Amino acid sequence: MTRFTTLLTALAVLLGLAASAPAQDRARTKEIVVAFAAEPRTLLPVTIVDWTTNNMVEHMYDRLVDRDPKTYKPAPMLATGWKVINDTTWEFTLRRNVKFHNGEVFDARSVKATMEYIKDPANKTHYQPRWALVKEVQIVNDQTVRFVTEKPWPGLIDRIAGSDFLPMPPKALKEQGAPALAAKPIGTGAFRFVQWVRDEKLVVERNPDYWQTPAEASRVTFRFIPEFSARLAALLAGEIDIMKDVPPQNVEMLDKSGKARLRATVSSRINYLALVNLKPGPMQDLRVRKAIQAAVNVDELIQQVLKGRATKMCGPLSPINVDYSPKLQCAKHDPAQAQALFKEAGVDPTRLQLTLDSPSGRYPLDKDVSLAIAAQLQRLGIKTNVVVNEWGTHLDKIKNRTTGDMFFLGWGPALDAQNTIEQLFLGKQTYSSYGNNAALEAKINQAVTIVDPRKRLEAWAEIQQLVRDEAPWVFLWQQHDLYGVANWIEWTPRADERIWMYEAKLAR
Amino acid sequence: MTRFIGRHGRGVLGLVIAALVVVAAVAAPLLVAQDPLQSDFALGLKPPGTPGHPLGTDQLGRDLLARVLYGARVALFIGLSCVLLTAVVGGLAGLLAGYYEGWFGAVVMRVADVQLSFPFILLALTINAIVGLGLRNIIVSLSVAGWVVYARVVRGEVLSVKEREFVHAAQALGLGRARLLFRHILPNVAPSIVIVASLQFAQFIVAEAAISFLGFGVQPPTPAWGSMLSESRDYLYVAWWLAAFPGAALALTALGINLVGDWLRDVLDPRFRV
Amino acid sequence: MSALTARARSASRSGIWGCCAQEAPKPADTGSLYSSGRARRRARPGIGYTPGVRAYLLSRLGQTVLVVFLSLTAVFFLMRLGGDPVLLFLPMDIQAKDLSEFRERLGFNDPVAVQYGRFVGRAIRGDFGESLRYKQDALGLVLERLPATLYLALAALGLTFLVAVPVGVLSAVRRGSLFDFFGMGAAVLGQAVPGFWLGLMLIYLFSVQLGWLPTGGTGSARHFVMPCVVLASFYAARMARITRSSVLDTLNEEFVLTARAKGLAERMVIAKHALKNSAIPIVTLAGLDTGQLLGGAVITETIFAWPGLGRLTVQALLNRDFPVVLAAVFIFSVTYTLINLVVDLLYGWLDPRTRTRAAGT
Repeated sequence: MTRFTTLLTALAVLLGLAASAPAQDRARTKEIVVAFAAEPRTLLPVTIVDWTTNNMVEHMYDRLVDRDPKTYKPAPMLATGWKVINDTTWEFTLRRNVKFHNGEVFDARSVKATMEYIKDPANKTHYQPRWALVKEVQIVNDQTVRFVTEKPWPGLIDRIAGSDFLPMPPKALKEQGAPALAAKPIGTGAFRFVQWVRDEKLVVERNPDYWQTPAEASRVTFRFIPEFSARLAALLAGEIDIMKDVPPQNVEMLDKSGKARLRATVSSRINYLALVNLKPGPMQDLRVRKAIQAAVNVDELIQQVLKGRATKMCGPLSPINVDYSPKLQCAKHDPAQAQALFKEAGVDPTRLQLTLDSPSGRYPLDKDVSLAIAAQLQRLGIKTNVVVNEWGTHLDKIKNRTTGDMFFLGWGPALDAQNTIEQLFLGKQTYSSYGNNAALEAKINQAVTIVDPRKRLEAWAEIQQLVRDEAPWVFLWQQHDLYGVANWIEWTPRADERIWMYEAKLAR
Repeated sequence: MTRFIGRHGRGVLGLVIAALVVVAAVAAPLLVAQDPLQSDFALGLKPPGTPGHPLGTDQLGRDLLARVLYGARVALFIGLSCVLLTAVVGGLAGLLAGYYEGWFGAVVMRVADVQLSFPFILLALTINAIVGLGLRNIIVSLSVAGWVVYARVVRGEVLSVKEREFVHAAQALGLGRARLLFRHILPNVAPSIVIVASLQFAQFIVAEAAISFLGFGVQPPTPAWGSMLSESRDYLYVAWWLAAFPGAALALTALGINLVGDWLRDVLDPRFRV
Repeated sequence: MSALTARARSASRSGIWGCCAQEAPKPADTGSLYSSGRARRRARPGIGYTPGVRAYLLSRLGQTVLVVFLSLTAVFFLMRLGGDPVLLFLPMDIQAKDLSEFRERLGFNDPVAVQYGRFVGRAIRGDFGESLRYKQDALGLVLERLPATLYLALAALGLTFLVAVPVGVLSAVRRGSLFDFFGMGAAVLGQAVPGFWLGLMLIYLFSVQLGWLPTGGTGSARHFVMPCVVLASFYAARMARITRSSVLDTLNEEFVLTARAKGLAERMVIAKHALKNSAIPIVTLAGLDTGQLLGGAVITETIFAWPGLGRLTVQALLNRDFPVVLAAVFIFSVTYTLINLVVDLLYGWLDPRTRTRAAGT
């Protein structure tokens, strides 16, 4: 009988209910529609690591510690202050007068319960490995908690400043259990859950009791439109208000459309061309790697293929990264230098045959950039075979070290050094392309344990210089995130890729 | 004369179109000076009528006319390979299944059922894991999906031809099974194979577009109409020519081949020959 | 003479004509009761629920189970060729040891045979496991999406019949006319244009330029229009062509000529005699198509953001979400083979001649 009613309900949903209201009506009622390519994988916080999921979940749940939208340094949110008590203890002071959507008070118990939820193997959350170093959360008093770690973890503040810790209501969690919370999320966020029509839309409404000024938007609907051109069509038709990843060539058309315009930001997500030295091949020779760096004209790629929509990088970290140190020198595009280096290495570029693995559609114009790089290498006579992979296959190949000599990849949000350098320059890491450098590895392993912030920055600065000199990648750029935003909404995108409608201001 | 047009008009039209496509494929280098693989970043997304690029350029500055013409090669290659593979494999399976009825026939039909009952993209994905993306993937995927048709049709044909008098006569004469099968039954079944083949040809070419849409298209920079169509989605609102011309080429080719197939059907039908 | 035409008729029944407007399997192929793999020389009394019918139904159900089981097994092993599922749904900064821990926990480190045994054991009880991507029961997820696809498929099928059959019949009746020319021309084009291209063009015209129809999603009857048209275009085109060829065949049959000779009105001739007999290939094709519509709606569902099973299956495949793929294949297989069964039963009703092959033509 339940199946029958499900069928009927489905039909009712398909035929009945309100069709989406046009843009003018929504401007009056202050309802925003945001389009994503996929739906959230769950509505439970700190359970699945997924950009789409977190973006929507974080409308209903707040972070303990946020990142400042301009400097991207850790900033207070549900925690107002923090300090290091000793080598293995961090203390956080919690905000007062914050309530969950069900009326429960937010305090230290919530933090403890959330950490227990994460660490409980029965919950199978993806965040458990990320918090492996935390031994326990101690409640000092209602507004104070201590995170006790197994080993010194100065990077804890970087870990906690983001989606990795979103406090949950302890009483509801205990009494109703996680599945109930998954069906009806209860957080402290600026918006309250209304409904989730699977694979179609998620609706949230303004939380009037929010601990900050309530949001301007009265209601936010997230629609899931997998096909890019359909999303663009919806934006142009006024059905949606915000979408991400407008290709650079469409920008002009968008701005002239009269319905929406471009809002861009330099993202913390980086793109790079990895020169794989983990297996025997030409890339194991430093001079060959440097020659390839000199052969690729990054500026031309940015100008011609991405229409200027990327910010060049000279090293493994971008300026947005909190551990960035600005003393690095960019590799210059210099074909003569490239020839000289090839000669020195005893390699004849006209006889060189390389393979470049590229994903398709995962990063802006990734396939086209790869083809363009191949064309640039061709100018020196190098034959590059570009192999386009389906995303899953691409990851598989990188992990199994079965890619070609080079592969294209992106990484982000890359806001701190540990999560970037430690992941990508140690030979044993899953997606690393570079290894066999014991000295560098030792330095990296050492740097992550340094507690003193100044000494830490110095250590990372030294590592960045070392990495740059090793030429493990052709350093490409920081992506620009191009959003199409309806004209009646004032919203500035963030470099950490967080889409938060609390920050949207609506035109009067 | 009008009778000729009425009966053969469509076929002739189809043949003309098909001939044009073949000419485009074969003579592409002679018809157009540009290299379809040559990219020129500064000339990206130029509209038709740009000097040197009558149909415009794509996002990497490659000439569209050249790509459309060379794309005919890929289309014909895909069509021919798939048709050959499926006709041979499927035809053989159908022949044997129809002739040696009972256990073997049932097995073949059940295998066909099993294959038909799971989604085509799964095949493409799995094949992709084995041979990687590209032309080989497309041909293998489409062939694996397409042999079933032949098997069914041919089996049905064989079942009915088997009942004919001359077959009984041959059997009475003590003709060997293999000889019977290939020398006598096959020729009677052949027309249906040919007709199915001609119609499948067009379908294979169109199916390449669907495969590209799902993400398993040919490797760049090989020009193929289906993958060109799929890539044009990103530029639909700024470069209509990227979708229009490959799409028109695809539709026209499929139209021509279908017309030929229809005509073949008409011609090979004994009743209408009277 | 009559023997020859009879031969021609039998050839047409089982052969070239119906088939060539694509893939309509003949009664002989599907191993139906009325003409099975083995020559049955038993005469059947008529439509009725004789013991033979029950036995037949049981045997067909048994075959259905077999086919479904084989499909699931094939998919199970094929998927494992496609790459590591655990890698795809875990974050990119996962450490190697955590990766292997997840694999262990999900049972992917066990030998394949063990995994398979576990899968079969649970599947029999209807438990396909939890989706790797979503934290939800796989079969539940699939069944949640099924209605949306069903409704779309049925609507498309309805549209197909509404448009294709009249066009096909008229084209056949007025063979060689202008209507025939343009009708079949449109039909051929319908098969020649890729679905996604048609969909995007329609969106551009009706949503962006004219603003008459929504770009996608569900919520009203208007949301059905474009997805239906796109989904139906290919099948309607094919159906029109088959209808035409099938009606053409029937119109030349002896019994029709006889009916005409008897002086029956043209319309009656067509309606009563021709249509019923031409229905077989149409029904066959409809059966095939319904099964394929369910699976083939993938592209339409993706373009129009229709929350259906096709889209879910594709995403599950690309994300290597094994449990959901297996659950979806299960539903597909069951639906497909059941539809075949219904089609075969319909044959018997439509054309009593097909009930026995050896009755002699």
